[in-house]
Amino acid sequence: MRAYSASSEEALRTRDLLKDWRGEGLLTAEQYQRMEQETVCELRRTNIFLRLVLFLFTLIIVGAAVGLFFAVFFSHPGEQTIGIFLLIFAALSYAAAEIAVSQAQLYRYGIEEALAACSVGFLCVGMQVAFFSGLFSSPTPGGTGYLVPAAGAIVSLWIWHRFGLPYASLGAMIFVVWLPGYWTSSPSGQHLIVAAFYSAGLVTVAAVRPRHRFTYLNNEYSIAEAFLWLGIYLAINLQLSSGNLLGHWWGSSRATTEFSRPFYWATWVLIWGLPPVVLARGLRRKDRFVIAVGAIAAILTLVTNKPYLGWQRHTWDPMMLGALLIGVALLIRLWLAKGPGGIRHGFTAQRLSGKDKRWMNAGVATIGLVSPNIMTPSPQTGGPDIHFGGGDSGGGGATSDF
Amino acid sequence: MTILTRLEQWKEHGIISSEQHALLAGLSRGEPFSIFLELNILLYAGVLAFVAGLGWTVSTWSQQLGDAVVLTLLSTMLAACFWYCFSLAPTWSPGETPPPGLVFDYVLYLGSLIWSVELAYFETRFHLLSGQWDFYLLATAGLFSFLAYRFDNRFVLSLALSALAGWFGLTISHWPSHQDATYRQYAILYSLMVGGVGAALQRRGLKPHFFGTYLNIAANVLFWALLSGVFNREGNLVWLLCLLAACGASLAWGLKRRQFSFVAYAAVYGYVGVSAVLIRDMNDGTAVLGYFVFTGVAMLVMLFQIARRFGREA
Repeated sequence: MRAYSASSEEALRTRDLLKDWRGEGLLTAEQYQRMEQETVCELRRTNIFLRLVLFLFTLIIVGAAVGLFFAVFFSHPGEQTIGIFLLIFAALSYAAAEIAVSQAQLYRYGIEEALAACSVGFLCVGMQVAFFSGLFSSPTPGGTGYLVPAAGAIVSLWIWHRFGLPYASLGAMIFVVWLPGYWTSSPSGQHLIVAAFYSAGLVTVAAVRPRHRFTYLNNEYSIAEAFLWLGIYLAINLQLSSGNLLGHWWGSSRATTEFSRPFYWATWVLIWGLPPVVLARGLRRKDRFVIAVGAIAAILTLVTNKPYLGWQRHTWDPMMLGALLIGVALLIRLWLAKGPGGIRHGFTAQRLSGKDKRWMNAGVATIGLVSPNIMTPSPQTGGPDIHFGGGDSGGGGATSDF
Repeated sequence: MTILTRLEQWKEHGIISSEQHALLAGLSRGEPFSIFLELNILLYAGVLAFVAGLGWTVSTWSQQLGDAVVLTLLSTMLAACFWYCFSLAPTWSPGETPPPGLVFDYVLYLGSLIWSVELAYFETRFHLLSGQWDFYLLATAGLFSFLAYRFDNRFVLSLALSALAGWFGLTISHWPSHQDATYRQYAILYSLMVGGVGAALQRRGLKPHFFGTYLNIAANVLFWALLSGVFNREGNLVWLLCLLAACGASLAWGLKRRQFSFVAYAAVYGYVGVSAVLIRDMNDGTAVLGYFVFTGVAMLVMLFQIARRFGREA
């Protein structure tokens, strides 16, 4: 079922770990060389930057090639013709992705990923154009329009399973968001359906995961589970998912109009109940991605609580949140430091992997790239009413328009 | 074969010791499990949220609180942050120096951001420099550079480079006629200056690990500036030649140093620039699409060869 053999993927994982351990000085050069020789793998990988650029150019080629096909062979093609040919291109893109993997042994190389992504895109657009009323029709209950997002979700899941691309599971989740609009016009019902789909996915992943705990698949399932938890949270947090937040974010009005009161308050209880559950599961399983989602959900709950309750926001709210985050980090750090060897219950605040340092470096580089754009004032600013754009932003977006 | 099975085999074959086996098997099982990265993200997010709220509160309530209260509050926090950093800082070394604790870098970052808030408040209320904000930015850039090098903090270094960019921008804004061309020239000057200073400091062995931050910022600002010239209707060929030269340099640097972000910059910025010039006067949609197919394939083949030869992982 998978495009790659288990032994190859396990060998790649082992090579990554060996490289990390060598970088941390846990293995000698001689040990590393001997161990690396035993994990030779035929799959071709490249680094993240080339992967991204290869992905981009593959998208450009495929998109332009399809456009060129229609431009050359059809002067004014009908919608159905376009749709049918897009479905053919979807099949061709998918076949090309399979060939790139089976013949060229590409693994996370950008090219096969872009081809797979194109196949999903062409399939959905092709189905919509060929069989339903145009590309930009909004979902309405009744009919078979749901088949388009359903097909998108199923094919995305297949690509996730076949090629192991973590973001394909996210793609499937995004398609699911469109489904309820074809089945019910009730906003509450739509939220419930999305949450139910994600919950079903979560139960499935949770059931499958344990047998892959120490294999190369663990990471993949971990990311999928984290996405599903986040999806469930976003589906039940009406301040985030109903779109009302943009309008009412800084005001005091509640987004109660389109939801029944029991439903609204039930979701309020759930947004407080879910983060501890996610965090507890992540900590118990030592699952980095699930822990991260638990923390994000907790922060989002704190941020959206006031709009939920219809309370007035205060200017010092972000300060309180910041102080809380800093306090929590410090407390955890101190608590862990008091354990023998800085370890408590199997957790430590010490850096154990070179990956952490690489992530930190990437973060600093990103901040460095973002902050000049934020801090450079616009040419119109000048005179006594100038808005000071310098200093207090630095990537955080804080401004000081005194 | 899982990593645990392999480790067992390597232990049996005497490639690794029993102690190494125990340690590595534990690490691959997540025992112990490090939350180093998570704590750092939490601290960074906390500092940003705190300063955002501080700036918002000060700007909203300054009239009610009064200047004395606001400035005392900000100065106290600033002094506390800098006192903490100066009192706990390890002896200065030109090489990479680990921070004395997890929170150290973030206290310095917090102090730097509070400095900016206080400075902005001070000038807005008292107009000491009569709107000559650029001097504040230049002074801030200098202070942040000093702090970044004293405490080995790249967060603060990126703030220093941002403040310097702001100084360039504000200085031009005072001029009677400021046009895109002027901004472009100053952006190029800024990027050359940042890149040059970074290279000079690296050559002298002063925090050589900062060089990546300098170079990434300089490269992106330079590419944006050159691209804006290429998008001009007039005189764009000179800018295109400059862009191609910069792309060549970026490509060569990326391949030589195996820093593939620079290969990516060269490919993307170069492609956008060349395409902008070549398809500008194309009115035929088929020709444009044909151009993208042809050049896209050429780029893909070239990048694939680069990836095979230089960027291979595994």
